Amino acid sequence: MLQASQVHFCIRQRPIVDEVSLELNPGEILAVLGPNGAGKSTFFKILSGEIKCKHGAVGYNGHDIHKLKARDLAAVRAVMPQHTQVNFPFTVQEVAELGLISTKVMQPAKLIQEVLEATNTSHLKDQVFNHLSGGEKQRVQLARVLVQIWETKPFPRYLLLDEPTSSLDIAQQHAVLKILQTLKSRNIGILVILHELNLAAQYADKIALLKNGMIAKAGTVKEVLEEEILEYVFDHPIQLIQNPVTGGLLISATAQAQVQTSIPTFKQA
Amino acid sequence: MITALNHTKIQSQNLTLLGFGFVLVLVVLASLSLGAFSIPFPQTLAILFDQIGIQLGTFEVQQANVLLQIRMPRVLMAMLVGGGLGIAGAALQGMFRNPLVEPGLIGVSTGSALFAVIFMVLVPTVSSLAWIKTLGLPLFAFIGGLICVTAVYQLSKSQGRTDTATLILAGVAINALAAALIGLVLFFADDSALRSFTFWSLGDLGGATWAKVPVSLMLIGVPSVLLLLNSRQLNALALGEQEAFHMGVNVQQVKIRLLICSALVVGVGVSMVGMIGFVGLVVPHLIRILFGADHRLVLPGSFLLGAILLNFADLIARVIVIPAEMPIGVITALLGAPFFIWLIFNLNKSKN
Repeated sequence: MLQASQVHFCIRQRPIVDEVSLELNPGEILAVLGPNGAGKSTFFKILSGEIKCKHGAVGYNGHDIHKLKARDLAAVRAVMPQHTQVNFPFTVQEVAELGLISTKVMQPAKLIQEVLEATNTSHLKDQVFNHLSGGEKQRVQLARVLVQIWETKPFPRYLLLDEPTSSLDIAQQHAVLKILQTLKSRNIGILVILHELNLAAQYADKIALLKNGMIAKAGTVKEVLEEEILEYVFDHPIQLIQNPVTGGLLISATAQAQVQTSIPTFKQA
Repeated sequence: MITALNHTKIQSQNLTLLGFGFVLVLVVLASLSLGAFSIPFPQTLAILFDQIGIQLGTFEVQQANVLLQIRMPRVLMAMLVGGGLGIAGAALQGMFRNPLVEPGLIGVSTGSALFAVIFMVLVPTVSSLAWIKTLGLPLFAFIGGLICVTAVYQLSKSQGRTDTATLILAGVAINALAAALIGLVLFFADDSALRSFTFWSLGDLGGATWAKVPVSLMLIGVPSVLLLLNSRQLNALALGEQEAFHMGVNVQQVKIRLLICSALVVGVGVSMVGMIGFVGLVVPHLIRILFGADHRLVLPGSFLLGAILLNFADLIARVIVIPAEMPIGVITALLGAPFFIWLIFNLNKSKN
C-alpha cells in the first residue's frame, strides 16, 4: 500500500499541501482531480520522493520513503512527470530502454517490444525522440515508465502519472487509460492526475478532489461525483447526466454566468 | 528480431570504436614520422618494431632517439590530453544537459591554469622538492578546475535544470576572473612570464617528456575509465535529474563523481600542456551527429576522436611553420571556432 499520512508542505509559510492523507491500494486506479493551483503536482512530487516532506510521512509497502534508496524506490514505483525534455538526439527505442536502467529483467528486448506495442509507439522506435509530435512524445515517455514496472514481481508496485493525457487526442486518451486498467491485474496501484473529469468517471476506482492543498473529498467514484462538491471544488456550475448508451455518469460544465457578462464589457473597452 | 537488432546495435558500436582506433593508429604513425626532422615511414615502423624485438630494417640511432625520446612521449601526451578533453567534454555536456558546455567555455580550463600558475609561483623550484612538482602541479590544477566547474554548475542551475544563458554568462565571468588572476600572478613571477602566458592560454605539447607520461596516464587514464562506467547514468540524466531519480539513479552521487572525474582529467591535462580549447566541444558533437546520443558510444568515441584530433592538430602545428612551432591552441581554435559558430546558428534555427 502507498500511504501518505498528514503530508504538509509550505512555501514561504503558505501551505501548498495541507495535512493530506491518502491511501493507494495495489490493483486500483486513484484519480486526483482539482483546479489549477490546488497543489496536485506538489503532492505528486512528495509522493514520488522528488520533494522531501518534512511534515507527515509517505510509505511504500510499509517502508518509509526516506529510508528507501533511489534504486529500491525505483523497483516499487514508476513516475511519469508532466513534461520531459530530452536535449540530445536519443531514439525512441533508447528512451524506452532507459526504464530498465536500475533493474535486471530476463528478456529486455522482448519486454520493450511489448511495451512499445501496447503504447502504440513501436512504429516510431528508430525515430529521434525530439522530432516527434507532442502526443507521440507523451506516449513514448509513458512507454519508458511502463518498461520500469512491466515485468510481474511478487510485491505490490505503484505507478504515478501527472496528466499523462494532456497532449493526446480522444482516442489516445482512452487507449492510455485502458492500458492503466490492464496494469491493475499486475498488482500495481495507479495514481493519476487528470483534468478531464469524464475520463476519471469512466476509468477510476477512486477519486480524490483537491482544493487549496486540502482534500475536499475522497472515496469511490459514486461517492465523490456529486454536483454540489464538484461545483465547490472547481468554482463552476456542473451538471451530472446519465449517459443514455452506457448508463455511466457524464459530467457537463456549462459556461459560467460571470464569463458571459465579462465578454461584452471587454468589447466596449 | 529485436534481440538481433539490439545485438547489431552493440556490434555496430564496437565496429565504430574499432574504426576510430584504426584511424588513431594511422594519425599516430604519421605524427611519429613527420616533422622538422623527417623520419621516412619504413624507418618509423622499423624503430617501433625494434622495440618489441622484431627486425624490419635498418635505421640510424639519431632517428630512433628523435622518435622514441622526443616524439613518442609527445604523441602519447596528445592522446591522453586530447582523449581526456573529449571524454570530459562529453560527460560535462551530458551532466549539464546542454550541448554548449565545454571545459574551456565554462571556466574549468582557466581555473586549472590559474591554480597551476599559482602553484608554480608559490612552490620554489628547489631540486629537493622536484617530486612535489610532478604530482603537486596536476593535483593543484585539478582543485582549481573543480572549484570553477562547481561554481558554474551552482550558478547556472535552477530547479534541477540548467539555463543556457546563465550557464554561458557564468562561464564568461569565471573565465575573465581566472584569466585576469593568471595575468596578475605571472606579473609577479620571473622574466619567463610572457612565454608562460602563451603556454597557459594557447597550449603547447612541446614540453612533453617521458617523466610526465606515467602521472598523466594515472591521473587522466583512470578518471576517464571511471567516466566510462557512468555512461548509462548519463543516458538517464539526459531526460532530466528528476526523471533519472525516478528511474533509480542516485543523482547526487553520480553528479559528484562526474564533476570530480572531469575536473581531474581537464586539470591534469591543462597542467601538462596548457589550455587547449574547443576539443571538448567539437568532439562529442561530431560523435552525436554521426552516431546518435547513446553515451555508451559517445564517451569512448569522444576519447578516441579527441585523441585523433589533438594528434592531428599537433602534427599541423609542428609542420606548418618548420622549424618553428605554432601553439596548438591556435590550430584547435581555428578548427573549432567556426564549428562553434555553426552550432549556435543551428541551435537558433531549431528554436524558431
